[in-house]
Amino acid sequence: MTNTRSAWIVYLLLSGLTLFTWGVARAGYSGLGVTLLVLGVALLKGQMIGDWFMSLRGLRGFWRWVIVLWLLLVGGLITAAFMIATGG
Amino acid sequence: MDMHIKTTEQPTRPAQRRYPPGDLALWIFILAELSVFAVFFSAYAFTRAQHVELFSTYQATLDCNSALANTLVLITASFFVVRAVAAIQRDRSAETVRWLWLAVLMAGLFLLIKGHEYAHHLAAGVTLSTNTFYMFYLSLTFFHFMHVILGMLVLLVLAVRTRRGHYSAAEHTDIESGASYWHMVDLVWIVLFPLVYVMR
Repeated sequence: MTNTRSAWIVYLLLSGLTLFTWGVARAGYSGLGVTLLVLGVALLKGQMIGDWFMSLRGLRGFWRWVIVLWLLLVGGLITAAFMIATGG
Repeated sequence: MDMHIKTTEQPTRPAQRRYPPGDLALWIFILAELSVFAVFFSAYAFTRAQHVELFSTYQATLDCNSALANTLVLITASFFVVRAVAAIQRDRSAETVRWLWLAVLMAGLFLLIKGHEYAHHLAAGVTLSTNTFYMFYLSLTFFHFMHVILGMLVLLVLAVRTRRGHYSAAEHTDIESGASYWHMVDLVWIVLFPLVYVMR
């Protein structure tokens, strides 16, 4: 169970990180470094949702890591695709 | 000789749970859904790698402000759902109903904003066959859109059933399952937003 204070903190952090991502888009920044930074922020947000909103942080075994594994898989594949696109 | 066995009290840690909150069958379904979205995201990224110019050009036509609003709306809905679960765990049914209704309202707002975006694209003559980017954009976001509709219906049913007294602090597995499904919908958008709207 996530208590009210933790929920508020996670909610505000998620909102702040979303505004950061939007700011990057509005500023028109591009390039592999910026792209990976934005992706990293998204993965961090995903992890926060898994840990605090889905209440997986207190578990042991497979279910503790299921969202982490999904995020790493998706993040890894997207990173590989963007590196191929830039010839990196 | 006095043979006393001295026992010292060991500090006890609460046993760690093994399974996530809600119905385990629902979590298997969530895993299946996440796998489908992972394939979708990878297909988008690897296709983009072969059409970088095309994707960058048409990404610029998307409304980033609407996407920001929708991301904040989904996060807010998730926060309300967390509060609903916390309320039912304390046996506060009326409070749970209020949080669930607020989450339903946020889901409806997401659909309105996204619907407005779709209307704008349709008016501009954009369809699935316009080009590869729009094919991915429309199918990916519409697939997610359908999940938001389903999530909203789930929360709606939970709100009605909670009001009718179906759930309590002792039994609220359905609410935890519905909450987990909604957070999955939010989680997918958290990746979709930067991938489709921001990363160029």
